[in-house]
Amino acid sequence: MIEVKSISKEFISPKKYPGLKGAVKGLFSTEKVKKLAVDDISFSIADGEIVGYIGSNGAGKSTTIKMMTGILRPTRGECLIDGINPATDRMANAARIGVVFGQRTQLWWDLPLSESYTILKEIYNVSDEDYKKQLAFLNETLGLEEFFDKTVRTLSLGQRMRADLGAALIHNPKVLYLDEPTIGLDLVVKDKIREAIHEINQKYKTTVILTTHDIEDIEKLCSRIIVIDKGRKIYDGTLADLKETYGTTRKISIKTEDFPGIGKVRAALSSSLNNGNKEPVGDNELELNFNPDESRLEISFDKNHVEVSDVISSLIRIITVKDIKIQETELASIVKDIYNHNLGANGPEGGGR
Amino acid sequence: MIRHFMHTYLPFASNELKRNLAYKGAFYLFIVCDLMEVFISYYLWMAIYQSSGKGTLGGLSKNEMVVYVIMVFITSTIIMQSISRTVSRDVVKGNIAMTLIKPVDYRISLISGQVGNLIYHFIVPSLFVWIFLEVYKVTVLGEPLVSPGRAALYLISICLSFLIYVLFDFCFGMVAFFTTYIFGLSMAKEVLLSFLTGRLIPISFFPEAFRKVFEYLPFESMVYSPVMIYLGKYSVRETLFVIGRQAAWVIILYLLGSFIWKKVTNRLIVLGG
Ligand SMILES: Nc1ncnc2c1ncn2[C@@H]1O[C@H](COP(=O)(O)OP(=O)(O)OP(=O)(O)O)[C@@H](O)[C@H]1O
Ligand SMILES: [Mg+2]
Repeated sequence: MIEVKSISKEFISPKKYPGLKGAVKGLFSTEKVKKLAVDDISFSIADGEIVGYIGSNGAGKSTTIKMMTGILRPTRGECLIDGINPATDRMANAARIGVVFGQRTQLWWDLPLSESYTILKEIYNVSDEDYKKQLAFLNETLGLEEFFDKTVRTLSLGQRMRADLGAALIHNPKVLYLDEPTIGLDLVVKDKIREAIHEINQKYKTTVILTTHDIEDIEKLCSRIIVIDKGRKIYDGTLADLKETYGTTRKISIKTEDFPGIGKVRAALSSSLNNGNKEPVGDNELELNFNPDESRLEISFDKNHVEVSDVISSLIRIITVKDIKIQETELASIVKDIYNHNLGANGPEGGGR
Repeated sequence: MIRHFMHTYLPFASNELKRNLAYKGAFYLFIVCDLMEVFISYYLWMAIYQSSGKGTLGGLSKNEMVVYVIMVFITSTIIMQSISRTVSRDVVKGNIAMTLIKPVDYRISLISGQVGNLIYHFIVPSLFVWIFLEVYKVTVLGEPLVSPGRAALYLISICLSFLIYVLFDFCFGMVAFFTTYIFGLSMAKEVLLSFLTGRLIPISFFPEAFRKVFEYLPFESMVYSPVMIYLGKYSVRETLFVIGRQAAWVIILYLLGSFIWKKVTNRLIVLGG
């Protein structure tokens, strides 16, 4: 059980002035710049959850993770990881968590991977038996064998990331913090990492907190997401809820022959939809597009105003349908909207947990 | 308890040892440079003795000065394992985070790593230079071999010297947290240390007033004291006092380091990421 209770982090750094003159001025100035990187964030996470912690660049994700792992001390507030406060009891907390910072490595650069693992085994006081078991499991899920004897320095980014994830799991931690674990990886490796995270969560009920800029990570792994922006929490809830609330646009894409033209289709569609309908569908609620190269017609609308089935049944009567596809709003575009503050302001805080 | 401690920190030492073995090429270059320094120092002192016309200077005979110069080299090669550079690099690059996520004490893990370096430097080149010195002493200078008892006291003393040095250097490295840039300070420290530890000139050459001040500083305990023990310049009681004083410095610097660390972690800033 993780409880984050209104934590804030304020960075105070000396004010910098531009140019050489500025550098000299900076030497004698005591002016400070304050930056509130995390602003009064609270949430709690139950055991075994996988939570996506997302937000645009500089939103304060890494800063939050650093406070939760005991690297940084919160300016205000506290967090408790199974009752342990990492700010005051870093070592006790560290023994029970695993951490991957995508841009760094916790492995020993100059040693073969196998030796780094042996060192970690000693540091975390893992018994020979548990180590053997866990290593076999990690080998299977992450495919470490290929490069287990290579020096860490010589590993490719994808190999290193797998190695780092494995390293964070040697002691079978209760909580796993992943700060951009798929950054810069190819699709195959990304998938492998995701599978491994999923499997570990299933097998050991490990709690996972994941920050990422890759929407697919979220879609494939997280049942719950927390969105932060400029240090403040702006959404906390399930992925399904988020989609239900914000992702109501549907897009129907139809492959057709002998297309009669946008105007004609629109007119026919409107009259068909409004036939016996109390609330008439306005023209601007349907967005039509025709791609002549693929001879594909695309219609976007809000599913809360127009029934998907009505649109389809009407269309079948208007044009010859060769193939049909229905698409939900992509999570990526929902998230993009939240980042751009189109939705965040009046969206639900959902902080009831 | 102790077993767990060893389990946790031994890997840091053995890792450093292995790293040294992997990069030995660069290290040999350093040895050559350092040995050059010893030769220069040796010829300089010989010239000074020659021109002064006196048998002893600063309480050291010409032969003792030969031993002093070489033992200072050996002692500082063994004990001066800098951690402030690592501390500042860890802070500036944010690597310190990768230690802090592990259930280990940052300071002890750094010192353990330096134990690895110490062992390596004890063997290469110190042990060989030491053997060379003793052979030289007996065959050329016609002096007796160092007694096993004195050699043992010297070894105990340099263990404490090592701890004093690294604990001091840790405190010094903490400055990195406030400046995030300590290259200049490092240079100043090196110069100052070479005076205050007796590396450049034996402490006994300094005026009385200076020596009184030095007695209240930890630097003399780093290099000068163990070398004087080795030279047999102290009585039994003095030896015990000197070693006791070293132990006291270990405790004081340890506590000072803990205090600074506490202060610093309150405003610890991990850069990047
Ligand atoms: N040591 C520091 N000193 C001053 N400001 C800092 C420091 N570390 C972070 N910040 C600022 O705090 C804010 C949050 O940074 P943080 O690294 O948490 O962002 P993030 O959400 O992880 O972003 P990204 O997705 O780019 O990794 C940023 O505006 C950053 O500039
Ligand atoms: Mg980040």
